[in-house]
Amino acid sequence: MKNTIFALFTLVSLGCTSQVKLNDIPLIDAPVNYTLETVVDGIPIPWGMTFLPDNSFLVTEKSGILYHVTNGKKTEVKNVPEVYNRGQGGLLDIVLHPDYTKNGWIYISYASTEGEGTGGNTKIIRAKLENESLTSIEAIYKCGPNTTKGQHFGSRIVFDNAGYLFFSAGERGAHFVNPQDITRDNGKIYRLNADGSIPKDNPFVGVANAKEAIYTYGNRNPQGMTKNPVTGAIWEHEHGPQGGDEINIVKKGANYGWPVVTYGIDYDNTIISTIQQKEGIQDPEYYWAPSIAPSGMAFISSAIYPKWKGNLLVGSLKFQYVEMLTFTGDKITGRQKIATNVGRLRNIMQGPDGYIYLGVEGKGILKIIPN
Amino acid sequence: MIFSKTTATLLIIGTSAFTIITSSFNSTTENNYNVLPLKKEQQTDLQKSIANGKEVYADFCMQCHQATGKGSGSSFPPLDGSDWIKNKRAESIRAVKYGQKGAILVNGKKFNSMMPAMGLSDEEIADVMNYVMNSWSNKQTKIVTVSEVALSKK
Repeated sequence: MKNTIFALFTLVSLGCTSQVKLNDIPLIDAPVNYTLETVVDGIPIPWGMTFLPDNSFLVTEKSGILYHVTNGKKTEVKNVPEVYNRGQGGLLDIVLHPDYTKNGWIYISYASTEGEGTGGNTKIIRAKLENESLTSIEAIYKCGPNTTKGQHFGSRIVFDNAGYLFFSAGERGAHFVNPQDITRDNGKIYRLNADGSIPKDNPFVGVANAKEAIYTYGNRNPQGMTKNPVTGAIWEHEHGPQGGDEINIVKKGANYGWPVVTYGIDYDNTIISTIQQKEGIQDPEYYWAPSIAPSGMAFISSAIYPKWKGNLLVGSLKFQYVEMLTFTGDKITGRQKIATNVGRLRNIMQGPDGYIYLGVEGKGILKIIPN
Repeated sequence: MIFSKTTATLLIIGTSAFTIITSSFNSTTENNYNVLPLKKEQQTDLQKSIANGKEVYADFCMQCHQATGKGSGSSFPPLDGSDWIKNKRAESIRAVKYGQKGAILVNGKKFNSMMPAMGLSDEEIADVMNYVMNSWSNKQTKIVTVSEVALSKK
């Protein structure tokens, strides 16, 4: 009997190992009419990046270092909180408040050991930068409880046009526990006021025991999130398990389905769910199978790249290139490959100067310069 | 549709049957409390470390190096049958403890990616090393100890 069951398991596993999306949009090489220029090097994992008004910029290095880069020269910013540098956790995203020139607030996400339980979880703070040191540090949100799991902290931070702060927190390796439970943190995208208070019209305000900061749930591990400059909507992408990386538009109260539905299977080839769609669950705008391991996301709105304007860029950690998605209307209809073999893509942004900047692991920050 | 209905049904049947067997096995050992402690004593330090290492592997290594230890593409070298792990014990421990950067040759193939340090404790590193060194086709029975990991310098 035991042998029969083992045989069944083997059969099922073999049947699942090939995980390829049928009728996918073909990925074609974009013409290489650009060069990649190194802006700063020697940053092992450049996780997040933001420009200051004087055109210098801040880069987070995952192990816990915050660099202030001026004309290619790195200075370590002091008084950065201690981070839980384990697995995918560490010093993560960094963004400026939309009114930074008036209020000076810088928002940072990182893995922190504070709070209940052993291990760490995603935390958001805001601080000011004075004399190359973080000052006036204020806690905005801390996910809990902590866990020693290495997976899925998220975390990206984005402000929308109304001034709300959105951030993502992955499900911390507990997919059957966290993402579908709105009384628990993790596996969520959150919306807060800039001071950390909870907007009164958040979708789960007043729901018994709910974490009222939650804006969407059923997310797995979003490591890319950005504002669509045309519509003002917040877009995110998230890692699937082997397959089923998704692009989603962040909608109030929406359930993105993890792990009830998924286009992926687990790393040991066990099936997490046999269904890919369900009523009440938001379908992705696009999904990848097999996974490209997406990190970093940016729309191109700059006139510097006339042929690329309006396209969406997504970094691939796994295949080490930038995927450029093109649209017909609001539907993704084309996929092109740029910066082929550049290295593990961790972060992408369009700078205030209109250039596209790439955070590449083992290297630093590169800039795409059209010929 | 990625999976056929038959496959899904087979899995459900398989999983249920497996659950029944596992739970009946557990209840037997729980009732006969002499069995469990005896079994634990018989487990060697290496076996215990391998069992702990399996969990560390699933949490921190499997996404890139795969459940099969075969690695993936030109970025993630194989661990199964790896001459690097077999012949470079100290380097392997150091790579897990401090991260690995720069070109390496594994089974004659060049890999030039970057593996960050995972922030594991010395005990977790010893456990995952013992798991990797004794899984798939690998068999290196000389146990990696916590003190061996502690002595590994950058």
